[in-house]
Amino acid sequence: MSEHTVAPSQDIIIAQEGPSQRAYWMRQMIIYGLLLVGAAMVLIPFLWMISTSLKSQDQLFVTYVNFVPDPIQWTNYLQVWENLASIKPQMTFWRIMTNTLFITTLAMFGEIISASIVAYGFSRFRWWGRDTLFAVMLATVMIPHIVTRVPAFLIWKELGLLDTYDPLTWPSLFAWGPLYVFLMRQFFLSVPREVEEAAIMDGASVAQVYWYIMLPLIKPILLAIAVLSFQGNWNNFQSPLIYLSTTEKFPLALAMRFFDQSLSKEAPQWHLMMAMTTMMAAPVLAIYFLAQRQFIEGINIGAVKG
Amino acid sequence: MDGALSTYLPTLARYIAVAIGVCAVMYGTYRLQRWFGIRHEAAAGRALVMPWVIGFLIFNVFTIGSSLYLSFTEYNLFRAPEWVGLENYADLFSLDLAPLESADQRSSEALAPRHKEIIRLEIGDGGFVFGALEEEFWRSMRLTLLYAVLSVPLGLIGALAVAMLLNQNVRGLGFWRVLYYAPAVLPAVATALLWRWIFSGSGLLNTALAPLYNLLGVGRPSWFIDPSLALPAFIIISLWGVFGANSVILLAGLKGIPQELYEAASIDGAGDWSKFRYVTIPMLSPALFYNLVVSTIAALQIFEVAAFIQTSDEVGTFLNWLIYREAFDFRNMGMASAMAWIMLLIILALTALIFRSSDAWVFYQGARDEETKPA
Repeated sequence: MSEHTVAPSQDIIIAQEGPSQRAYWMRQMIIYGLLLVGAAMVLIPFLWMISTSLKSQDQLFVTYVNFVPDPIQWTNYLQVWENLASIKPQMTFWRIMTNTLFITTLAMFGEIISASIVAYGFSRFRWWGRDTLFAVMLATVMIPHIVTRVPAFLIWKELGLLDTYDPLTWPSLFAWGPLYVFLMRQFFLSVPREVEEAAIMDGASVAQVYWYIMLPLIKPILLAIAVLSFQGNWNNFQSPLIYLSTTEKFPLALAMRFFDQSLSKEAPQWHLMMAMTTMMAAPVLAIYFLAQRQFIEGINIGAVKG
Repeated sequence: MDGALSTYLPTLARYIAVAIGVCAVMYGTYRLQRWFGIRHEAAAGRALVMPWVIGFLIFNVFTIGSSLYLSFTEYNLFRAPEWVGLENYADLFSLDLAPLESADQRSSEALAPRHKEIIRLEIGDGGFVFGALEEEFWRSMRLTLLYAVLSVPLGLIGALAVAMLLNQNVRGLGFWRVLYYAPAVLPAVATALLWRWIFSGSGLLNTALAPLYNLLGVGRPSWFIDPSLALPAFIIISLWGVFGANSVILLAGLKGIPQELYEAASIDGAGDWSKFRYVTIPMLSPALFYNLVVSTIAALQIFEVAAFIQTSDEVGTFLNWLIYREAFDFRNMGMASAMAWIMLLIILALTALIFRSSDAWVFYQGARDEETKPA
């Protein structure tokens, strides 16, 4: 109990100490002030997006800045899809969502599995040519995608697989993301050698060691990469744009472009477009907030340890 | 849903077939090496990296080679590629600088036939005009390079400032970090649309700045149409997305700097600036270097923003989008490949330049330790 009575009096003494204390508070004020200014700059566009998505059309073009929609028009989120269906009956919300999830899941799964296998080969085994090949792999990051687009398009055309999900899904099985291989390799390298040696002594095969010992050990980074990969594939725009032409096969990103170019072309329907934008952003943002620790770890491993 | 299944199932079947095929190739590679008497460890290692090797050969080596070949041809998908030698490149680099005889002379009269103006400089009663045959390409080149050269350093400086702010033992670090990184998670498509709306004629920015416009007596600007405003607008969009992403990485770098270094510097009488200049910057240089390389490559390839935001002809568009349109809208596969190759060479040159310069300013602690270690 006596401690309680002591504490405030100490505060008073500290407060009386003068200039250094004042300097400390000034400093804190400046730091948090700047942080708040930065946060506002980050948040305002987000708030504007959500606020627009809940406005009615006549609230869009007014002469003052208004962040609070009045009345709140939730129906925008349904209206977008009704409008889309009015010109393309097949473009329903469920269809477009399933398309997006189908592409995202297959690509994500392929990326994680193949990248982890390749990273395992690049980290836990010694073989001639390994480091050279690894350097070559990292160098491919510099190749702009657009250089490979035209010939890749021709390959898929020859295979008769244009306007299917194939170009967007199974090439992920060939570890198309060198960055993920790099991240997982960093993680594999940190696992002590004894762990797998014991298993090999017991007669475990390479596949068994990988599946039962190595994968569980690198679970944190697998989760981080799953999050990064989900985000990357969900957000992907360029390759669907090149390969898909039938509107009902479109993922969300293309459906948004389609809406923009058809229904919103003459008179932009920003309230509906922002509703669609919010719908596209929501899942990625939700996953990001839920898994932010893994996410931030994932980005950091590459840059700091590398 | 019937139609849906018929598009998903064949892809799924081929996906599984390819997965099995990759496993078979891995196993075959292993067996083959063992048959040649290569030891287990090496054979297994090489077999495990096969998925990447196959992808690399098909989707990188083969495509880049084909792209180079196509860049020497004229090809519209319908007829076989026709070899034209260096013609595509010659067209792209067909530039012309002509003097203007009078201020009201039209640029097209001064320039060589079919060349169009890129830059016009009037000096008194005369001047110069700089034109090119493929003036769209050069306008895009100007916009893309200026964008990269300005947005990348600005983004890095901003990110460093945010990272240093967050490194001041602030409360709720996790909260700030999550908040600042959020724009980088947003789909690029969403970012592009959102900012087009903010910058649009009666969007947020123009509405908020309306009193200022009234005060200055100017009309509402069309941000992406006006040649002097488009670049700043694009840079603002990029900064919003990249601030947080880079600052999270730099923050982790800052946290990794041992406190003793600052204490030692204090004992030697170093002030805040000296500590920043001689401790923070060198210790952070590997993270800065990483950010510089990654941001530069990304900035040169900006795509979604260009796809969703229309600019005027004078502004031009971004190179990546221009190449996409040349290839897939206009079906000039040969010309598009030539442009893409020029872009590849620019990225390689810039990256090489950054790597070259890194010897002078990037400080690797590990490397230094090894040097000073007694032999």
